[in-house]
Amino acid sequence: MSEALLQVEALHKRFPVAGRRGAMLHAVDEVSLVVDPGESVGLVGESGCGKSTLVRLLARLLDPSDGRIVFAGQELGEIRAGRFARTPQRASIQMVFQDPTDSLNPRFSAREAIAEPLRLLTGMSAAEIERRVDEVALQVGLPLALLPRYAHQLSGGQKARVGIARALAVKPRLLILDEPTAALDVSVQAVVLQLLAELRRDLGLSYLFVSHDLNVVRLLTDRVAVMYLGKIVETGPSEAVFRAPRHPYTQALVSAIPGQGPRIKLTGEVSSPIDPPAHVCRFHGRCPQGEDRCAREAPPLRRLGSREVACHFAA
Amino acid sequence: MNAETWKHIRHVLGENPVTLLAVTLFMLFVLMAVFGPALVPYDPLASNSAVALQPPSAAHWFGTDPLGRDIFSRTVVATRLDLGIAVSAVAASFLIGMPLGLAAGFFGGWWDRIITRLSDTIMAFPLFVLAMGIVAALGNTVGNIVLATAIINLPFYVRVARAEANVRRSAGWIEAARLSGNGDARILAVHLFPNALPPAMVQVSLNMGWAILNAAGLSFIGLGVRPPTPEWGILVAEGAQFIVSGEWWVSFFPGAVLMLAVFSFNLLGDALRDIFDPRRRT
Amino acid sequence: MTQPPLLEVRDFSLEFRTRGGTVRALEGIDLQLHKGEIVGLVGESGSGKSVLSYALLGISDRAARITGGSAVFGGMDLLTARESQLADLRGREISMIFQSPRTALNPIRRVGQQLQDVLRRHAAAPGPDLGKSLKERAVQALRDVAIADPERRLAAYPFEMSGGMCQRVMIALALACRPSLLIADEPTTGLDVTTQAAVMDLITGLARERHMATLFITHDLALAADYCDRIVVMHAGHAVECAPTKSLFAAPQHPYTARLMSSTPGERSTIASLEPVPGNLPDLRRDDLPACRFAERCERASKRCRSERPRLDGTAAHVVACWHPLREAAALKEPAHV
Repeated sequence: MSEALLQVEALHKRFPVAGRRGAMLHAVDEVSLVVDPGESVGLVGESGCGKSTLVRLLARLLDPSDGRIVFAGQELGEIRAGRFARTPQRASIQMVFQDPTDSLNPRFSAREAIAEPLRLLTGMSAAEIERRVDEVALQVGLPLALLPRYAHQLSGGQKARVGIARALAVKPRLLILDEPTAALDVSVQAVVLQLLAELRRDLGLSYLFVSHDLNVVRLLTDRVAVMYLGKIVETGPSEAVFRAPRHPYTQALVSAIPGQGPRIKLTGEVSSPIDPPAHVCRFHGRCPQGEDRCAREAPPLRRLGSREVACHFAA
Repeated sequence: MNAETWKHIRHVLGENPVTLLAVTLFMLFVLMAVFGPALVPYDPLASNSAVALQPPSAAHWFGTDPLGRDIFSRTVVATRLDLGIAVSAVAASFLIGMPLGLAAGFFGGWWDRIITRLSDTIMAFPLFVLAMGIVAALGNTVGNIVLATAIINLPFYVRVARAEANVRRSAGWIEAARLSGNGDARILAVHLFPNALPPAMVQVSLNMGWAILNAAGLSFIGLGVRPPTPEWGILVAEGAQFIVSGEWWVSFFPGAVLMLAVFSFNLLGDALRDIFDPRRRT
Repeated sequence: MTQPPLLEVRDFSLEFRTRGGTVRALEGIDLQLHKGEIVGLVGESGSGKSVLSYALLGISDRAARITGGSAVFGGMDLLTARESQLADLRGREISMIFQSPRTALNPIRRVGQQLQDVLRRHAAAPGPDLGKSLKERAVQALRDVAIADPERRLAAYPFEMSGGMCQRVMIALALACRPSLLIADEPTTGLDVTTQAAVMDLITGLARERHMATLFITHDLALAADYCDRIVVMHAGHAVECAPTKSLFAAPQHPYTARLMSSTPGERSTIASLEPVPGNLPDLRRDDLPACRFAERCERASKRCRSERPRLDGTAAHVVACWHPLREAAALKEPAHV
């Protein structure tokens, strides 16, 4: 049995709430996740579900409050985020950001942006770095003539490619993609998605693909995890989860995709992520299937064959 | 600077005639400061009672002062001193204030609290009061005037840098910089600082104008630079008592040049910002 | 259509004078909107859809120059109307909602005050609310957009409200005076899928209830399909196809429309089945733009496409601007929309 590339165990992240002493916002609550080498795992959920926080924990930009992050057998959670930039593992986990404009320093040219991680994280000489930048630019379909340009001189699709090239330059093993095509036009999105699929095949990468666009996640991932208010409520093979969602929230999410037919309307207020009561299901109050039991006993994430579901009523 | 930067600068200058005016005046003052003393017709310190208090003429463009010294020469030579004081003070403010502000905005927490309190405390002091305090404690020298001016201007840079750092610290490219292996210090120096430059440049220019006025004002009341050293404030002071008796030129010309200097620096701020801000490049 | 259109745009062309050249943002746009109709204006960024809507309201960028055509609304040509006439129209007869609700609301004025500003400006607007006080009408406007506890919300500032609620307030502001035409410029872009559905339900519900014509601008073809009666597809400043939704999806005629559909991930898509649109949007500053601006990206292009601009043509319902549409045979006939 091959070792999992990334193993997340009972990860927690709590933020103190400004202005309220002692109150804590549970952004990520007891999340466990596994990514195998070469696997592409999707992470879906709506704004406020904690997926952005989760990926920043995994990319080691934030420190967890509790729990373990084990990457290629090494415990990464112990190293403080501030110091992680200078450890050898920094190059193994890289990230592609949502807004290509926002993720490029306006004062750096494309070449400088791609070269920077090489300069800081590898011992390559200047000539080797230049060759590597050219190599990875071609890999992502970025014409070499565009490399001297600045961010504001590049189109959305070109900026996206620069972001991908920068992440791939140091040959990571795990690539975290945080809504990489959300800010792109549909036709550009298609090209970038095909590029990402091709790169994974050619380079044997693992992906952690975060998106709120379920159709896109379905295309690019083998497995998917659905998050709600900091907790994982369902996992399973992507196709199966979208075709036959088991958790009521996933069902509502899938039904809201345009063209999916009758929409399950969610009523009621979203529960607060601040000091949530531990014994109440987070989805209770909005759930079309809620019962008293849901307010007394929070459902654990149960394994059902190849799936995991956190709901009392899932069969 | 590469070809594209020059093209951009030429474009910025061409777009707005006021900008061109400001830059031209600025260059003029710089030239005056550098080459003035070598080119003036008369020795600024040479007195000649025979020609005392002469109105402007072909021989003396700005007239002469009560000691017969040529006002034109004195005014031009004063440029070096005034500009020198202003540049030193502003440079000191910039070099100390920017890093403090960046740290305050980027790290937040205790850094922010302490630095902001410091900045607020300084802002509470009017310049002249602070200058007099420093002079009383440390002595009446030009160096101490520079120190006082530098301290007074510190909060401007702290605020500008803090605002920029605060806004940008959650930007995607800061996170990307961390992923690329940048530690905090490097992020501040290499990533944040250049992006905080455009608004800081405007501040620098405005400060220069203000600093010149300060230096002149302090000299006017007798702090810092003392006669017979030519300095715009002193020149104006020397001429102040003659305005009523009709010898207007003694104060007027130095005052006008002073005003023009401050004016051009203020206009320059906008031009600098246009040049430095990469988003305004086509 | 038996009634005359509420808004009729004919041969509308607009350009921008910029430092880098003249951008021919819109060319020969033909568009019609009937009372009570929900029309989707679909196109990618740079297609000119927002430019078109801003021009209709007279709020284009300063560098914009109208170079031809007309946009007749209620007997008046919006493109040649005086600013005072347009100001009377905005908010009262034609309203617009924007993508980012927080930037559309004044951060230092209470919600109730902003609503009353609009109501006061168009005080004489006829309708069932005449006679009620401004405050009552403001409360009603909030209630219409399903904001709970509207009396209390009147005193709130925008920063005290969530993004979703700000959006509802923006919609309330737009609809307060019961306009007959609403332009919605990407109101749900960036929203979660469930919030998007809720907002679209709200807007289209109100539109149907009030028999209000709606021009819904989006880049999301699937979303337009779910909510619009008719769809107009735009590409690089041209209106290239216009058809009732069912007809458009059953048989898209313009190659661009077909490619848009095939590049959008759907239920049955695979990575391999996605067919992106080849090439890039042409630079609209060029002097040598082909007459049909899709010609350089189209595998069906011929010499005629480069030299002669195709006009919208076809049956009354489904029209396409293409010399070589995908079904050269007659397009489907659709019953007239009521």
